[in-house]
Amino acid sequence: MGGVPATATARRARPARDPRPRGVTLGRVVASEADKLTSLRSTGWLALATVAAAAATAWGLVFARPEPGASGAPIAVAGAVLSQLGFLVLGARTGADEYRSGTARSTFAAVPRRLPVLAGQALVTAAAALVVAVTALGAAVAATAGLRAAAGLALDVTDPETARLLAGFVLHQTGVALVGLGLGALVRRPDAALVAGVLALVVLDHLLATNPGRVADTARALLPGAGARVLLDDGRLDALAAGSLGPHPGPWSGYLVLAAWAAALLAAAAYRLRRGDVT
Amino acid sequence: MTATTAASRRARPTAHRPADAGGPTLPRVVAAQWTALTSLRSSWWAAALTVVVSGVLTHLSAQASSVDPGFDPLGSLTSGVVLSQVPPLVLGVLVGTGDFSTGAFRTTYVAVPRRWPVLVAQTVATAAFALLTAVAAVAAAVLALLPSARSRDIALDLGRDGTPQTLVGMTLLLTAIALLGLAIGALVRRSVPALTAAVLLVLVLPVVLLLATDLSTDPLAPATGGVPPAVAVVNTVVAFLPSGAGALLTADVVVEGAPDLGPWGGGLVLAAWIALPLAAAALRLRTRDVV
Repeated sequence: MGGVPATATARRARPARDPRPRGVTLGRVVASEADKLTSLRSTGWLALATVAAAAATAWGLVFARPEPGASGAPIAVAGAVLSQLGFLVLGARTGADEYRSGTARSTFAAVPRRLPVLAGQALVTAAAALVVAVTALGAAVAATAGLRAAAGLALDVTDPETARLLAGFVLHQTGVALVGLGLGALVRRPDAALVAGVLALVVLDHLLATNPGRVADTARALLPGAGARVLLDDGRLDALAAGSLGPHPGPWSGYLVLAAWAAALLAAAAYRLRRGDVT
Repeated sequence: MTATTAASRRARPTAHRPADAGGPTLPRVVAAQWTALTSLRSSWWAAALTVVVSGVLTHLSAQASSVDPGFDPLGSLTSGVVLSQVPPLVLGVLVGTGDFSTGAFRTTYVAVPRRWPVLVAQTVATAAFALLTAVAAVAAAVLALLPSARSRDIALDLGRDGTPQTLVGMTLLLTAIALLGLAIGALVRRSVPALTAAVLLVLVLPVVLLLATDLSTDPLAPATGGVPPAVAVVNTVVAFLPSGAGALLTADVVVEGAPDLGPWGGGLVLAAWIALPLAAAALRLRTRDVV
């Protein structure tokens, strides 16, 4: 490493008096992961598209709901199915992009214990997903404000069901982003992670719903898409339970299924990272 | 030794053959793209997955409904299509973006400086590979019906009204979906955005629209006979999406509230979904830099 600049030598002479820890700390890994995410221009576009998808879906649906006096919350969170794709891409890219571009080699040379990188990615992904989800929800509520007032659809945050739906939107999207991160870090290819995520979250659920039966309904309740139950109002949950021969988890146990998927995928990715080679 | 033969071979064409015979003719580019496509292990995985998914899902669906009194094995023929179109879609996107994500496009377009033959050749190679895969997948679906048909002593009559159309339609649909993936991939050139767009268009949007109608219609309201306007709008939109148009190819169904396009109309809509992004990709290839 010849040719160390003079300032670097001077700085190296001092460290005994420097109280800050040297080397790799979790805080620094988190900071560098946050840098990586926010430095990509595509992250901004992805966030913008996600917010736009959530707001546009909600706005488009206001026209279709005529009955006044109903709650406006299901409309406000209606963009979740479409916009969850953005959160999935966010997580899958964070988890897998470095393996594709080859920068994983530098990253793990800098953090030889490896696991702090995955922890840092999880924290950064969750934080980014929270911010984007809150923005998307705000955009959906704001975009529908005038139309909701005209249609007589109330949005009362003190109502427990409304509060559950609004909080559920943010939590569900964060969970989806972490599932995407787990898939991306596990398979290490963003495209494969994306396809697997879409299949598990949307396609399989829809396919099983069109072929009802005891096995299909049980599998449906155990897919990560069960997390979307936190976004359904009580009437629709009852309708879902009435039409199902399998277990019918409530909104929060449905969300726990999603959380368990995220935890299991991240644990599998951590195992591969710890035991396997980084290539 | 090779050098001398190569040199002597090179010395001849100016005298006897037309000048362009040594260059990248379209058949040669097609052959090169076919080699590129079939040399990737992922292509064969995609093909195998298509056939397996088609067979297994059809078998499961037929088995599940074989206890119904009015069981018709051929009614389960298309039950695997929704999922078995995923591997061809991904395959198409990867063929379209592959050169650009690995950097091999530099070599490709130095070898074929006129560029557009590459896109044509990719389309031909992908169509051929997807067609072979689709034929195998449809054959697997038919074979998967046999056990449940035999268990009820029902003979499979593939020549029955509508069934030939379904078989041809399924084959064309799977091939067309691969070409749609190729068109989007060639236009976008980055695998993750292209795959997101393709998956969104083919798989997610139909489900989202279905859920939207579900949300906008009151489940407890009595059926009033006519088609609710929201349902009609959504069904019309779905009929013009690749998946809805593709469904028209496989069966003569009348979707309530949607214009009756028929199999030919559905095929044309699907063809337009392929042709427009492909034309845009060709235009981008022709007028812009390859990066």
